[in-house]
Amino acid sequence: MRHWTSALVVAVTGLIAATGASAQQHVLKMLVLSEDAPKVQKVAEAYQAKHPDVAIKMQSAPWDQYFQTAELRLNSKDKSVDLVYVDVPLIAGYASRGFLAPVDPNLDTSALVASSLNAGKYNGKLYALPINNSAQVLFYNKKLFADAGVTPPDGLTPGGTATQAQANEIASSKRWTWEQVAEAAQKLTQKKGGKTAVWGFSFDQINELYQLQPLGESLGTDVISPDGKTAQGYLDSPAWVKGATFWSDLYNKWGVSPKGLSHDEPPQLFANGQLALFAGGTWNLALFQKNGVDFGVAAFPYFQGGKALTPTGSWFIGVAANSVNKDIAADFAKFLTLSDEGTKMWFDANKQLPAYKPLLEQISRSPEFDAFPQDVFRIGVYDALNTAKPRPTTVAYGQLQDAFRTAFADMSNGVPVTDALATAVETYDAAMKRVAQ
Amino acid sequence: MAPSNVRIREGFRLGLAHLGYAAIAFVFLLPLWWAVVSSLRPNGSVFADVFPFTAKALAPSPATLEAYEGVVQAGFGWIILNTLLVAAITTVAGLILNGAAGFAFAIFDFRGKRIILSLVILSFMLPFEAIALPLYNVMRQLGWLDSIAALVVPGVTNGLVVFLFYQFFRQIPRDYVEAARLDGVSWPNIMLRIYVPLSLPTCVSAALLLFVFQWEAFLWPLLAMPSQDFKVIQVGMAAFQQQYGTIWNQLFAVAVVTALIPIALLLPLQRYYVQGLAGAGIKG
Amino acid sequence: MFRQSSQGLLVALLAPALLGLFVFRLYPIAIAVVSSFYTTVHGSTVFTGLGNYESLISDHVFWRSLRVTLWFNLLVNPIQIAISLGLALLYIRKFPGASVYRIFFLIPIGVSVPVAAIVWRIMLSQGGLVNGLLDLVGVPPQPWLTSSSLALYSIIAIATWKGASYWMIFIVGGLQNISPELYDAARVDGVRPWQRLLFITLPLLRPALLFVLAADVSINFLLFAPIYMLTQGGPAGSTDVLMYEAYKQGFIFGDMGRAMAMVVVIVAILLIVVGLQFRLLSAREQGA
Repeated sequence: MRHWTSALVVAVTGLIAATGASAQQHVLKMLVLSEDAPKVQKVAEAYQAKHPDVAIKMQSAPWDQYFQTAELRLNSKDKSVDLVYVDVPLIAGYASRGFLAPVDPNLDTSALVASSLNAGKYNGKLYALPINNSAQVLFYNKKLFADAGVTPPDGLTPGGTATQAQANEIASSKRWTWEQVAEAAQKLTQKKGGKTAVWGFSFDQINELYQLQPLGESLGTDVISPDGKTAQGYLDSPAWVKGATFWSDLYNKWGVSPKGLSHDEPPQLFANGQLALFAGGTWNLALFQKNGVDFGVAAFPYFQGGKALTPTGSWFIGVAANSVNKDIAADFAKFLTLSDEGTKMWFDANKQLPAYKPLLEQISRSPEFDAFPQDVFRIGVYDALNTAKPRPTTVAYGQLQDAFRTAFADMSNGVPVTDALATAVETYDAAMKRVAQ
Repeated sequence: MAPSNVRIREGFRLGLAHLGYAAIAFVFLLPLWWAVVSSLRPNGSVFADVFPFTAKALAPSPATLEAYEGVVQAGFGWIILNTLLVAAITTVAGLILNGAAGFAFAIFDFRGKRIILSLVILSFMLPFEAIALPLYNVMRQLGWLDSIAALVVPGVTNGLVVFLFYQFFRQIPRDYVEAARLDGVSWPNIMLRIYVPLSLPTCVSAALLLFVFQWEAFLWPLLAMPSQDFKVIQVGMAAFQQQYGTIWNQLFAVAVVTALIPIALLLPLQRYYVQGLAGAGIKG
Repeated sequence: MFRQSSQGLLVALLAPALLGLFVFRLYPIAIAVVSSFYTTVHGSTVFTGLGNYESLISDHVFWRSLRVTLWFNLLVNPIQIAISLGLALLYIRKFPGASVYRIFFLIPIGVSVPVAAIVWRIMLSQGGLVNGLLDLVGVPPQPWLTSSSLALYSIIAIATWKGASYWMIFIVGGLQNISPELYDAARVDGVRPWQRLLFITLPLLRPALLFVLAADVSINFLLFAPIYMLTQGGPAGSTDVLMYEAYKQGFIFGDMGRAMAMVVVIVAILLIVVGLQFRLLSAREQGA
């Protein structure tokens, strides 16, 4: 009996000593989107290998609930959140409400693409670092074009290769105008027995500000004022009326776009070969290839006489203001976004256009990216450096996005353009007044 | 009346009845049928015959089990078991706690009863989204985050279930209880021997309430289990709806399985329901 | 009613449930109500008294949303209850083959709200199944979810599809309590079927109906998931119910105080409605 109990005491003290030794462990908790969690996990593991005293745990939520969950966790001033996966337009809102800790001003961020970096700033201070970027292109169905006898845009096609210079040419001088898109779409739309069998054109993210902001901006006017306080004179300007009229005509006058689709049906239509032209993100490449669509990729269109502008921006990583591990969290953020190793791992896992300039260089030069579909990234590189225009910075981005979405959804369903835009302006301005007291 | 005439008329009525019932059954069945069909197709062709609609959309062509394989590989078997566990515990505990309270409200009179009963009824008129944040903080203070307690305990006490039992117990004639009290039977005995057996149909309805509440729980399991080591069905399903596209066939595969489980549980019970109603129909 | 001399039993029966309801429902809602008197300015919460409520009064989106909510509930509740009652009466009938139909009647209970929403959205789309079937009888395709005159009714239909079977179960439970002898006696007396329904079934179903009414109305007043998934309040705000507006304010725009103010308004209206229901349906009971 005696040696039994003393053996137990030894074992217990041994255990206590062992846990004491590993009590140095810092555990970082990161709020992240479920579908991206495994990819972040890979980078986290590489970091943990270098820093054995740090453990990084993912706390994930699916896309539909992510923002709601993040909002609740951050609002409750939860000390157990260290890192946050932030969608770029929400940075201003989060920063103004004290959810994020500012990035160290002494940090050298010159390796990041300027337009991306600026999108992470609020009141001149940087609050989050860009993890990657996004690229928008114009997909076209070669077979449908051939069947209808219409000449498709110049672009990159399967089996082909392109140098950065060739991609630059496609993106600079061979870019189609929206007018050309409309003309082609009308010829490509086909009806069979009263129902539309082939649609001419659709956007990827229907009604979304991210997708449609170039419409008015291409014609010269931003969505809201530079200080973000009002949309009057901007979203209801002649430039936006023209841009929105084009949008409305797609659905109501020319009938080339299908009404009432939800946010992931347009890619499905293109993947099924029922859509001839599709303006959307490069993330759709895999789906279209898998479905065996005979397609090519051209540059994102612009208005004749206007500027070529493309949607940009994606996810950032921010340090939570209430975290007790801010320094370590900031170090991991740096690893993910500013180190050669971290950014390459992320790029390999995620396959989105990077925001890290050395990687963009690599994409331009390395033979890995000569052949289709990798060469599509080169169009993305050109756009990131030349045509990318970030989303407007405002603390009421949620309200702006909502007002914009309502206006464009209504316009696609026939509500007159000036009415819809006026309502959106009114809603946004009222919200801004409340928020920025 | 000649017997054959009656039989023809009976047959005609039966035919009409079948037609009516079939129409209703069709409306109920159609969405689930489409989900089944879609779950048996490869992901790219889920929408192949939907826009514009052709009859082919109602048959799985091409047919494949890849969605179900993918779902099993993603560990959905565990997710279903997790949800069943949470739902089962909530249901059993909920029946006992809420049933007891409903009984007390129905049988006894006491000071402040009206106010307390009103508060109980108020408790189910509250949108979950409004209490989500405070409830989350309560869980944090209790240290229950990331534990099953956080999922189960808030779901056990349910004002609607208390109200259900209250309504039911009120209807039971006093005579039973008075006679038993006169005979000196203790309250626990009265409860167990008289009320509980009588309340079985209500227990089934109450169990349905509690079970479905947990089965369909969505936001709360996400909030209360931040590390998501323990997932429930609705959260798991939402993972198929991603930022840049939805894995439709897997989503529908899970939807089909999770729809069939409550139905399967209800089936033996519904026979019980209808047996007890021998001839209580309005049939002439 | 009995007066219980020993408090012990009473406490034992009531305490666990009441404790749970208090901690997990009433206490959180009290906090939520308190937060409706605050607003966030530049990251810190500031007391604003009735400020949020005042801002609602002058907000025409709030009033439109209120109208939509009231109209929605005025329609969906009677429809759902009437259909549930009808389904329950059909459910219990016995005839060859009835048990097969009973299985089908249970299907919507198993289908979760998100799945029902997704499937119905696809079935109601321009080129979808419903329009395809209508086409067979020569009816032109309808913009079920994209027209401001149809969207709300489509939501009502979908909510009814999902809810009717569920409430049917509770009414079937209520029908259980009606003793068959009453019907036999009535039949012998020559009382016709519709009279039996009106004078025997409905009155005896009153407790069950009151339950279903209170529960269904509560759920419908607080409903927003189908709207979130299908129409996002549109088109042109025709499906923008108060709960959806509150959700947007609180979770998308981060203005929790304002969102809670809306919730307080919703719950207050709901309390009045349910209170009236109790008055109307219980008073007669006591007289009986």
